[in-house]
Amino acid sequence: MTTTLDTPAVVAARPRASWAAVFALARFEARRLLLRMPVLVAFAVYLAWIVWRTRDSFGGFPALQDADRATQGGPLLVGLAVLLSANHAVLRSGRYGTDRHFAVLVLQPWRRTVAHLLSVVPVTLLATVCVAGQFTWEALKPGAVGHGSPAELLVGPLSVLLLGAFGVLLARLLAAPLAAPLLIVFLLLFSVFTSGFGGQGWSRWLMPVVGEGSSHTLPSDLLGRPAAWHALYLAGLALSAALLAVLLSGGARLRTVQAGVAGAVALTLVGAVGQSRDVPQETSEARTRVSVAPEKVQHCDERDGTTYCAFPEWTPRTGDWAEVVDGVRSLAGPGAQDRPLVVRQRVDARYGLDSDPLLAPSARPGEVTVGTAWGGNRIPEFATAVAGVLVTGKEEAVSGICDGRMVTVMWLALADLPDPMAGLRSVRLDDSDTGSAIVVSQTEPLRMSAAHTELVRELLQRPRNETAAQVRSNWAELTAPDVTTDRVAQMLGLDVPEPDEEEDECL
Amino acid sequence: MTPTVSASGLSLHYGGTRALDDVSLRLSGGVTGLLGPNGAGKTTLLRVLATAVPADRGAFTVLGHDPGTSRGRQEVRRHLGYLPQTPGFHPDFTAFEFVDYVAILKELTDRTARHREVRRVLDEVGLADVRGKRIKKLSGGMRQRVALAAALVGDPEFVVLDEPTVGLDPEQRMRFRELVAQAGEGRTVLLSTHQTEDVAMLCNRVVVLADGTVRFDGTPGELTAQAAGRVWSSEERDPGAKAGWRTGAGTFRNVGDPPAGAELLEPTLEDGYLLTLDGAGAEVTA
Repeated sequence: MTTTLDTPAVVAARPRASWAAVFALARFEARRLLLRMPVLVAFAVYLAWIVWRTRDSFGGFPALQDADRATQGGPLLVGLAVLLSANHAVLRSGRYGTDRHFAVLVLQPWRRTVAHLLSVVPVTLLATVCVAGQFTWEALKPGAVGHGSPAELLVGPLSVLLLGAFGVLLARLLAAPLAAPLLIVFLLLFSVFTSGFGGQGWSRWLMPVVGEGSSHTLPSDLLGRPAAWHALYLAGLALSAALLAVLLSGGARLRTVQAGVAGAVALTLVGAVGQSRDVPQETSEARTRVSVAPEKVQHCDERDGTTYCAFPEWTPRTGDWAEVVDGVRSLAGPGAQDRPLVVRQRVDARYGLDSDPLLAPSARPGEVTVGTAWGGNRIPEFATAVAGVLVTGKEEAVSGICDGRMVTVMWLALADLPDPMAGLRSVRLDDSDTGSAIVVSQTEPLRMSAAHTELVRELLQRPRNETAAQVRSNWAELTAPDVTTDRVAQMLGLDVPEPDEEEDECL
Repeated sequence: MTPTVSASGLSLHYGGTRALDDVSLRLSGGVTGLLGPNGAGKTTLLRVLATAVPADRGAFTVLGHDPGTSRGRQEVRRHLGYLPQTPGFHPDFTAFEFVDYVAILKELTDRTARHREVRRVLDEVGLADVRGKRIKKLSGGMRQRVALAAALVGDPEFVVLDEPTVGLDPEQRMRFRELVAQAGEGRTVLLSTHQTEDVAMLCNRVVVLADGTVRFDGTPGELTAQAAGRVWSSEERDPGAKAGWRTGAGTFRNVGDPPAGAELLEPTLEDGYLLTLDGAGAEVTA
C-alpha cells in the first residue's frame, strides 16, 4: 500500500542546545558522583587523614617544599573511588537496559561521554580544595619555611582527574561491571610491585604519584624534581584517556576529537620526556656549592655572641635556634657563656633527595651544625650539639666523648627544655632513659653509658638552678678532657654509680 | 491536513527475515493504533519511525525532517517521544530524577523550566505523590507511567508507544488509556498494541500490520465495517467459520462467511481485525 507524500510540514527547529545539554547532564552526573558511597567514604577517609596527619606533621615546623609533596598520596584514594563510580555511571544504561531508549534521544552518545568526563571535574575541584587546605594549614604554622611548588600541588587533583577519565574510558572499552574493580586491584598490585624494586630511574615517573625514599629536606631550588613536567604528563594522560573515550563513543568522525587525541598524546610524550631528563647542570652545581661551601649562599645574623648562618629560606628559623642556644648557654660555666659560636646550617645536597641526611661534624672551632629539619627530636639533638661544642670547643670532638663530660653535655642540652626527661628519651635512639644508648645527632652520633644515663637522669630530676650553680662553679674540671664519670658525680653531689662490668663503657 | 509522519516504501530485512515490506503511511494528529499479531513487524516499524534503526529501503519524514541525514535525525529526535516495548529504568533514580535525566537527553537545558516540565508530566501521569520515590520501590503500573512521562516530557509532537499496556491489570490499563487519550490531544500518537479494546477506545485511526505489510489503514469504524454481515451466532461451532468461540451466553460467535439464514450479529473491531488478518499467514487469535 503506498500513499502519495504531501508537502512536509517543517517545524521550526529549537535553538541548538547540545552543549548546554552536555553541561546540564554533567551537573546531573556530578551530583550523583559526589553522592556515591565509594566517593563519600573516600572523601571522609581522606579528610580524616588530612586532619590526623597535618596536626602533628613535620614537628610543627614544615618546609613547604616537602609539605607540597605530602599532599599527593591522599587524593589517590578519592581517585580510585571516582574511577569506580564514573565507570559505574557510564555502564548504567547498558546495565538497566535504557540504552536502546536513550539511543533515540537527542543527545548523542559521544556528548554523553563528554558529560561523564566533565562530571569528574567537580570532584577534582573538591580534591583541589582539600589539597589547598592541607597545604595552607602547613603554610600557616608559625614554624613554616620554604616554598611549595604549584606543580607538586597539582599532582593530587590531576591524579583524581586521570583516574576518573580512566574509569570512563574503561567503560567505553569494556562493558563489564567487574572491569573497574579488577583494574583497581591491578593498579594496587602494580604499585606494590614497582615500589618493591626501589622505584628508581625515569620509569618511576610514569606513576601518578612519585614519592621519595628519604625525608631529606633541601632548599626548594635544589630539589631537582621535574614537578612541572610531571604535571604536564599527568594532564596529557588524563586528556588522552578522556578524548579516547569520546572517540570510542562515536566522536571518531569529528576531526577536532581526532586532532585532540593526537595533541593530548603529544602533550603526554612531551611531559614524559621532560620528566625523564637528568637534573639540570646548574642545579647540580648549585647543590655542590651548597653542600661544600654553604657560607657562599647563606645569610648570617649575629645575636648575643652567636652568629646564625642560614640558607635564605630558613632565615625566619634563626629565632628558634637562638632560643635553644641561649637556653644552653645560660646554664654553661664561665667562659662558655661568652664563647663565640657559629650556628651554621648545613645540608648534603649533592645527590639530591637521595643524599645521606647525616653530615660530617664541622672541624671549625666553635661551629655548630644545624640541619634543614626542625621541631620534635631535632630540638634536643641541636641542643646536644650546642652543649657539645660549648664543652669541647669543636663539633668533631663531641662524638668522641666517652668520659664524664658526657654528663655535663647532656644535662646542658636537656635541662632548659620544657620536659627534660622526655627530651632525654627522644634524643636516644631507643627512646630509653636507662642503660647505655646512642644519642642521635645531625652529625656523628654520641654515646651514653649506663652510668652517664643514671647521672643525667638524677640531675634532670633535681632543681635546675641548684645544678646550674654546681656546674658553673666546677666548669673547668667538668669540661676537662678525660674527667671521669665518678669525679663528675662527686663534683655535682651525686652518688657514684655502681660499675657494671658487663656493660660497655659507652655502649 | 499536513501529516506529521509520511512514510513511503519502508522495507527492512533482518538476515533472511522480511520485517517490513513496502510500508507506506501518513500520520496526523490524534491516536493511531497499530494492530498486528506477534511478529507482524509492529515493533520494527516503530523503531524505524523512532530513528532507532534505519530502513533498508524507502523514506520517511517526521514534521518535514528527513532522518536519513544526521542533522535530520537529530531534528526528528527533538520532536519525538518514545516509549519502548520493554522500557528500562535506573532503579536507584527517583521518578523525578529519571524523567529529568531523559529531559536533559532531550536537550531541555534550562534547569528551572525543565524541572517545571518534569513536574508537569509526572502530574499528568498521576505520579505527583511519588515523584521523590526511587523507581525500584514503584509498582509495575507506576513504572509504566514513569516511562510514559519520560516519553511525554518536552511536549513532543510525535509520540511512539510500543505496547504500553502489556502487563498491566485492568484498572491500570484503564488508567493508562486515559493518559494516552490525553496525550493524543494536540499531538500525533502512534500506539502499537495487541489489544483491540485499546484501539476501539482510544484511536481515531487504525493500521493493521501483518507479515511486515500494511493490511488495513482507516478508521476503527471502517475496520469494524469490514466484518459487517460476516459475524453470526450458532448453537455449535460453525466449521466454515474463520474463527469461532463460545460466548458467555453459551452460543458460538462465528466470524467468516456465514451460511444462508444465519443469525447475524453486530460486528466489533476485533471481528474486523480478525478478518483483515485472514490469509495473512499470521496466527489468528480468538
